[in-house]
Amino acid sequence: MQGFGEVAESLRRLTVQVLSDGGGRGSGSGSGVIWHSSGLIVTNAHVARSRDPEVKLWDGRQFTGQLLSFDSDRDLAALRISGNGLPAAVAGDSSALRPGELVIASGNPMGFAGALTTGVIHSIGPLPGMGRQGWVRSTVRLAPGNSGGPLANAHGHVIGINTAIVYGLGAAVPAHDVIRFVRETIAQLRGRAEAA
Amino acid sequence: MSNELAAFSNYLASAVEWAGRSVVAVHARPRFSSSGAIWRPGVIVTAEHTIRREDEITVTLPDGSNQPATLAGSDAGTDLAVLKLANPSGEPVKQGAAETRPGHLALSVGRSEDSGVNATMGIVSAVSGSWRTWRGGRLDQYIRLDLTMYPSSSGSLVIDTSGAALGIATSALSRIAGVAIPSSTVNRVLDEILARGHVRRGYLGVGLQPVELPDHQKGLIVLSVEAEGPAAKAGALIGDILVSLGAKTVADTDDVQAALEASGVGKTIEAGVLRGGERKHLTITIGERPRRN
Repeated sequence: MQGFGEVAESLRRLTVQVLSDGGGRGSGSGSGVIWHSSGLIVTNAHVARSRDPEVKLWDGRQFTGQLLSFDSDRDLAALRISGNGLPAAVAGDSSALRPGELVIASGNPMGFAGALTTGVIHSIGPLPGMGRQGWVRSTVRLAPGNSGGPLANAHGHVIGINTAIVYGLGAAVPAHDVIRFVRETIAQLRGRAEAA
Repeated sequence: MSNELAAFSNYLASAVEWAGRSVVAVHARPRFSSSGAIWRPGVIVTAEHTIRREDEITVTLPDGSNQPATLAGSDAGTDLAVLKLANPSGEPVKQGAAETRPGHLALSVGRSEDSGVNATMGIVSAVSGSWRTWRGGRLDQYIRLDLTMYPSSSGSLVIDTSGAALGIATSALSRIAGVAIPSSTVNRVLDEILARGHVRRGYLGVGLQPVELPDHQKGLIVLSVEAEGPAAKAGALIGDILVSLGAKTVADTDDVQAALEASGVGKTIEAGVLRGGERKHLTITIGERPRRN
């Protein structure tokens, strides 16, 4: 089918591997998404467990990241790497998702770099016992190491950050929460720069 | 990026949205709700094994409201239960799906109170003819689904890509895969349940054990006879070897059940038995299998 290969390839290129040794709890390895071409990476807070995690791009280049901010409630973290002109994600409208839509996830499950999995949107809503915040649940098969990686729609737009596996379903933080988090991160950095 | 993939994705989402107008959440067990489909106006079909209580059953309707439902009846053999709504709401499912074949795409559409409609997708991995479940019921077709069954998937509506109903999803009829209880079976069981609250199954009132006869033919030896049961009334004795029912020879209990189904409760059937090496014929009026609770 025309479009599938292109979507998959573009998704792999904006997916990074995040390696942080979690301060004695074993080395954490997860995934991340290049959110801005200037080197802003979004991942899960539970993946970015050190202040300077290593970030590996699809083409093998490796950078030492700098932790900019994290939100442990929403399980998001922002990192900066000193790249430029990187292939960045286009955020999809996560409020317009419909059950049954095709989705693709990319990540580094169990250490395999650039693995893809496909499925459909299962549902959008809260998870039992995890507060009122919304999650994008999908039928993609995730494994440890997918955390922090992108969930994209058929256009290749990133609609969420894969975060957890709940009763076999992939649970992703919706893109609109990521956009808000990135906006807050940038505002904080501006505030710090002005104060300095 | 506009592409065929996006068009196909939209098409699937629309089929789910359409089918979702006929899908309810069923609250009749602890922890996980299940789903059900509005099969006819005010009549909901769900998976029997997800109904764990007979009272205080509620459903979440396609408009998001909750309404009490009453259990009209159920059939463990086919894993179907029928609920009735006091105030019919929602759209009945779209019937008349084209014949399904292995490889066809299938979507299961469910509902939860918190998140509304949910969907999973996969393919039909096997289709065969009439199939007897381990629970003793008969499905008109065996439709095996290669799609992930989640804890609340049972009772979901299984549709083809046009949104037409293939059946009701259940995880309780096979250990290896989800199964769609075919629409034709749903219609048949629904008619019986609405008419008398349960599905009647034929009953002879004998305990049978398959045996091989000296001439390499097979039969079933009568090990027990229920007093005043249908076979006892016709004169069956312990030690008789049942070799035919109606026009058909019988070699195992599946053959017996098939013969009883073909005739039906209340009908008479000619039973051929061997007694002391001699062939005899008994005319048995098929009874109704007592229902366990």
